[in-house]
Amino acid sequence: MSITARDVRWSTAGRMIVDGISIEVPPGKTLGLLGPNGSGKSSFLRLLCKLRKLESGVVTLGGTDIAELTQRQIARRAAFVEQQVHTEVEVTVADVVQLGRTPHRGALAAWTNVDEDVVTQALTRVGMADMRDRLWRTLSGGERQRAQIARALAQTPSELLLDEPTNHLDIQHQLEILSLVSRLPVTAIIALHDLNLAAMFCETLVVLQSGRVVAHGSPEQVLTPMLLRDVFGVEAHVQRSPHHGKMLVHFLPQNLTAPHVIEAA
Amino acid sequence: MTARQLSTEAIHVAVRGGWGFRAALALAGLLALILAVGMAMSIGEVPTPLAATYQAIAHKLFGTDTLLSPIELGILWDYRLTRALVAACCGGALAVSGVILQALLRNPLAEPYVLGISAGASTGAVGVMILGLGAGLLTVAGGAFIGAVCAFVVVSLLAAGAGGSSERVILAGVAGSQLFNAATSYIVTTSANAEQARGVMFWLLGSLSGVRWPDVYLAAPIAIAGFVICLLHARALDAFTFGNDAAASLGIDVRRVRLLLFGLTALMTATMVGMVGSIGFVGLVIPHAVRFLVGPLHARLLPFSLLGGALFMVIADIVSRIIIPQQILPIGVVTALFGAPAFAFILYRSRRQSL
Repeated sequence: MSITARDVRWSTAGRMIVDGISIEVPPGKTLGLLGPNGSGKSSFLRLLCKLRKLESGVVTLGGTDIAELTQRQIARRAAFVEQQVHTEVEVTVADVVQLGRTPHRGALAAWTNVDEDVVTQALTRVGMADMRDRLWRTLSGGERQRAQIARALAQTPSELLLDEPTNHLDIQHQLEILSLVSRLPVTAIIALHDLNLAAMFCETLVVLQSGRVVAHGSPEQVLTPMLLRDVFGVEAHVQRSPHHGKMLVHFLPQNLTAPHVIEAA
Repeated sequence: MTARQLSTEAIHVAVRGGWGFRAALALAGLLALILAVGMAMSIGEVPTPLAATYQAIAHKLFGTDTLLSPIELGILWDYRLTRALVAACCGGALAVSGVILQALLRNPLAEPYVLGISAGASTGAVGVMILGLGAGLLTVAGGAFIGAVCAFVVVSLLAAGAGGSSERVILAGVAGSQLFNAATSYIVTTSANAEQARGVMFWLLGSLSGVRWPDVYLAAPIAIAGFVICLLHARALDAFTFGNDAAASLGIDVRRVRLLLFGLTALMTATMVGMVGSIGFVGLVIPHAVRFLVGPLHARLLPFSLLGGALFMVIADIVSRIIIPQQILPIGVVTALFGAPAFAFILYRSRRQSL
């Protein structure tokens, strides 16, 4: 297994945020982490790469318990992309992507050809090879997110953790980022809000509620009208899309519960 | 692509000099520093020709011949050179401290003076000087260090309690500064005699008078060692660009690095303030000017800030001594005259950027 979590718990300010989550992700697979606001998605991702200290439970990366790994050893194999990051420093796209080499370089090591190649490859992969010298503050939201993903790729990770990478992006960039991530040869865990995008790009979905796993499986198994009602509090109809073959959720307005009502209107 | 699009594109692309530009800049900076030290040594009650100042240094260091009298040599070597060297060490250390605080707090306005660290150091120093705290075991510099650390802890707690956002840190610094300045004023007005009070007030605004070789032996190692340790953490400082979690996810031991570098900043600031009084805005003006020239990467920013800070302080000392004939202006007044407008400019620019 590439990533496993076993009965992972974490609380803050006396509130249990992550309450016994267990998952297993095989190498190269993409797992979608779903759940309403405050269900523990972000915190769980942070626990997986030791940005928060586990209260109990075990997380392994490539079979090794992260308790036995230093922060730097983790950074060499697992990269994390935050929801939205901000800086007032006048950095360029190249500066940002070069940060990804940090865990691989000693304090005094010079910038090597290998470092340069990895950075160029990462930039090419996200389609930003010609934007190296652009300043961070002049980038659009989608470009910033792509630059952060390129930075993560420059860490040459086997595991990639993304916390709602498509938040605040327009639909074109949402599709672009997710298809980019799903095509990468890495194990990916993506926290997402959009159920249809999750069904489209993830092989496996895990649904969290109040820090617990309430559903786990393929999009077909997980995205059921009952689950959507119980966890997200919405009425929905789910069908396989005749156009792309993936599961598609039709949300129904609160006061109209059946499809025929819409037809009549 | 239209001409208009092209021109915006040109603005959006960072223009930074290459290797040759930085080498030339470093050389120019070093020459300027040597020239400034010579000029600082040549002015005074008994003006000395510029060439004679270097002659005096060469004589003392290498035993070369000189026509200067022993008295002139003594003035140049023991009084004026030490003053210039301490100014350079203070400027360099304060500029490096500014770089560290701006990186770790991710706030372009962070600086020892703005954050109240200098104010805390003053309180500690005055406490030892006037109240005799520490019963003779504590030197003025030692008192300043304890004061600086106290101020740092108070401001950090205030900032954390207020939410820890970028602006809150500065507000916490303002509150901390006011608190410690009030404490200093209280000690001075209630306990000091008139002469002590005048001396202390002058020292609070910064004064390099009375500086001798022992001060150099303290300031230089701390400035240089502090700089070297910071430089060894240059990559870690870069990793803080997007915050603590981003740094940790790049493999940085965030707790250790923050503790070490904040402690080092407090040590450098406290040492300098304990020696020459609280001198503001050096840590603000220099790092920003240097970033403009060599970009934000700390491996370049730190050495050029050290050099720039040293140069700035030596020049500020010259200005403070010649701007008003027959009178020495406190050096903190000179740095603030440059620094406060720069603070306003950076404030204005960061507001525009965040829109």
